[in-house]
Amino acid sequence: MATKTFDKDTILDLTVNMVPLAIILFFVVAFTFVNPFGFESLTSGLQYTLLIAPFVLLAALTYLSGKAIAGSEKEGTVYAPGQATVPGAKPLHEEEGEEAAELEESPDDDTVEAADETA
Amino acid sequence: MDEAPGLSDQYRTASPWPVFIALGIPISELGLLFDLFPLAVGGLLLFGGSVVGILKESGYVTSTIRAVTALAVIFLAFGAWLAFTDIALVTRGYAVIAAAILLAVGGVVFELFVREQRQTF
Amino acid sequence: MEVNGQLALTVLMGVFLIAVAAWLARVEDWRSYTPLAGGGTVGGTAEQYVSEEKPSGVIRWLTTVDHKDIGMLYGAYALIAFAVGGLMVVLMRIELADPSMTLISNTFYNSLLTSHGITMLFLFGTPIIAAFSNYFIPLLIGADDMAFPRINAIAFWLLPPAALLIWAGFFPIPDVIPAQTAWTMYTPLSAGVGSGNQVNAGVDLMLLGLHLSGVSATMGAINFIATIFTERDEKVSWANLDIFSWTILTQSGLILFAFPLLGSAIAMLLLDRNFGTMFFSVDGGAILWQHLFWFFGHPEVYILVLPPMGIVSLVLPRFAGRRLFGFKFVVYSTLAIGVLSFGVWAHHMFATGIDPRLRASFMAVSLAIAIPSAVKTFNWITTMWNGKIRLTTPMLFCIGFVSNFIIGGVTGVFLASIPVDLVLHDTYYVVGHFHYIVMGAIAFAGFAGLYYWFPIYTGRMYQVTLGKWHFWLSMVGTNLTFFAMILLGYGGMPRRYATYLPQFATLHQVATVGALILLVGQIIFVWNFAQSWLEGREVEDGDPWDLADDDLTTAEWTWFERKLETAVTDGGEDETELATDGGQAVDDADADSADDA
Ligand code: HEM
Ligand SMILES: [Cu+2]
Repeated sequence: MATKTFDKDTILDLTVNMVPLAIILFFVVAFTFVNPFGFESLTSGLQYTLLIAPFVLLAALTYLSGKAIAGSEKEGTVYAPGQATVPGAKPLHEEEGEEAAELEESPDDDTVEAADETA
Repeated sequence: MDEAPGLSDQYRTASPWPVFIALGIPISELGLLFDLFPLAVGGLLLFGGSVVGILKESGYVTSTIRAVTALAVIFLAFGAWLAFTDIALVTRGYAVIAAAILLAVGGVVFELFVREQRQTF
Repeated sequence: MEVNGQLALTVLMGVFLIAVAAWLARVEDWRSYTPLAGGGTVGGTAEQYVSEEKPSGVIRWLTTVDHKDIGMLYGAYALIAFAVGGLMVVLMRIELADPSMTLISNTFYNSLLTSHGITMLFLFGTPIIAAFSNYFIPLLIGADDMAFPRINAIAFWLLPPAALLIWAGFFPIPDVIPAQTAWTMYTPLSAGVGSGNQVNAGVDLMLLGLHLSGVSATMGAINFIATIFTERDEKVSWANLDIFSWTILTQSGLILFAFPLLGSAIAMLLLDRNFGTMFFSVDGGAILWQHLFWFFGHPEVYILVLPPMGIVSLVLPRFAGRRLFGFKFVVYSTLAIGVLSFGVWAHHMFATGIDPRLRASFMAVSLAIAIPSAVKTFNWITTMWNGKIRLTTPMLFCIGFVSNFIIGGVTGVFLASIPVDLVLHDTYYVVGHFHYIVMGAIAFAGFAGLYYWFPIYTGRMYQVTLGKWHFWLSMVGTNLTFFAMILLGYGGMPRRYATYLPQFATLHQVATVGALILLVGQIIFVWNFAQSWLEGREVEDGDPWDLADDDLTTAEWTWFERKLETAVTDGGEDETELATDGGQAVDDADADSADDA
């Protein structure tokens, strides 16, 4: 199986941006049902564009940055931010790998992979 | 990377041109906006000359005279556009054209006399 | 008269150009017999010569393209602008101590108001951030320098002329008066229409200056994007990038989209004013200006606040004895703020009568953008929760930041609600809201950075007690001044007036007292800063904050440590001092002065 870039941890990290996305989505729906000012193609079109454009852009940037970050986590050693070039800095992987192994009882693919990496 | 500290100092850490590029822009803008012929010409010369200088210094161009000519042509086109089209900002257009001509002359003079001298050092 | 003037200008310009040429010739000569000290590197690079050295004295600062020197220049520039803008507002606050016009005229008040805003946002805010980013981003990401060191220098040197142009109205130039357009420069007032005096050239000069500062910011942004994308040490992957670099990267992206738009709008306004175009005087022109301005203007407020958030996210955990809680939350919400900040601009225009459907959308996105800001706040608080807090001066300023940012943010969310905004718009409430953020948060983060990194850029330590005084006076002053403004806004006091009804006097006086307390605090800061720089205790330890104890050392401190080590092995006392003053390798500095002579 191709290594999943978006594993559980990454998706959990990304939830932070799903909240604003959800808020925008909520208003898209709300404005469809509660619409006291009537429908007029230009203005209403703009009204939805003003919601959907930020939604799409934010979703895209979140996806891309999530991919870049999670991808480089898979590829290289991960240090604490800003400490990669500090002599004697310990990679984070070891600590996190251990924790993950302890926490997750059922050894699904992810933990096996993680364990492999740290080994 | 375990380089010695201050490695960034191994870049050439000094260049005389940025200050003058930065001065040339506002001076020429002031000259063009308020129609002050000498400021416009002088500012453009300062700007153009420094741009060529910095390009040469950083190795983006190899021939001074060609860079000068290119800039002069751009100035010339811009000046002509101001002076001879519907825009009709005639005096400002002439200022830019004058700067173009002076820049070109300056380039030639530099090429013929100054650069030679330098190389004999 | 006319001809004489032209002649004089021509002569002046000619003399100036000749002087420049002569000086350049000298400098170039000096370089041409600079020994090729770089030895081995000569063959390796495309450069014709390598001068490892910098000239000494003033010339060094005029010609430097070293990112650390440029950072120092930005810092000095920003602090001078901060002093100018601060003194302007002290005058205004004193005028406001009583309801009628007493100390200064109403028009002068308007001029100060305009200049204060523009100075603080464009000449203090953006440059103080650039000071930190120029100095520390290359160190943090393990780069040798910025991607384009010369463009970096050009970007800085555009700023002094920009400041002179923006302040030009205050100089004794015949027939030029300062602009009174406020920082938003709304048309038709700023287009010089009507019976007012805003046709004056002072407005044009200010617009030119603003334009220049925008060009400068854009050049800097391109440079940072290129640097962070291409110059990272191979070990510094996206997963290892520090939070300050993330915020600068996002900020640079915002600048790249926002500032060119401001530039175009300003160019259009200049054309309207001087060449008879009608961009902003046709039907709908006034609202067009507001759209263009705020499409830039709202991202601008995040351009100013994101990097300070980055500084706090970097510094605060170091004194809480642990890593930043939910680091990736902070990164992703930084990016979210970056994107969403372009979708909220018309929340500044709720009261202009734009279509209610559009207003509703802007309100929705404005509420959504509050989430990532709140996430960060929770992360800072959780980082401190049960942490090993050390209340050093930089930490105090970080905590002050969080505290003030909460008030500023919450008031912002209220303003984002259309019905509330229609009541509070254009009152002091708005002034209170954004000053909690620009003074209470952005300036506080600036101070946190200045104190935190003081040992790196000066080689010395500041005086701790004075630092604490500075913090507490700033914190008390800020809250006194700006909370009074929030209350004034509730009372209906409109903003931008030099006089007011007597019923507002008490709260205005409280605000003035707060401003004076702030002034005292900043005087202490200047004293501490200058005196410690010259005579403070020298730092001999590369880790003055004992970050290593908690494994929290970041790259710039290891760079500093190595610098101290080489300085020690290289020689005696004097040289350490030389090195501190700009962070260059010591032996170079000596060789320079010899060379220059
Ligand atoms: C939590 C997110 C924020 C929200 C929802 C928000 C909302 C608002 C709203 C609706 C206004 C317009 C008020 C009016 O004129 O009627 C406003 C004004 C302002 N805000 Fe915020 N704000 C937020 C954060 C910030 C930040 C971070 C900054 C600064 C870095 C800032 C700076 C300003 C400024 C300068 C103004 C006044 C502009 C003017 O009219 O001169 N705001 N804010
Ligand atoms: Cu806004």
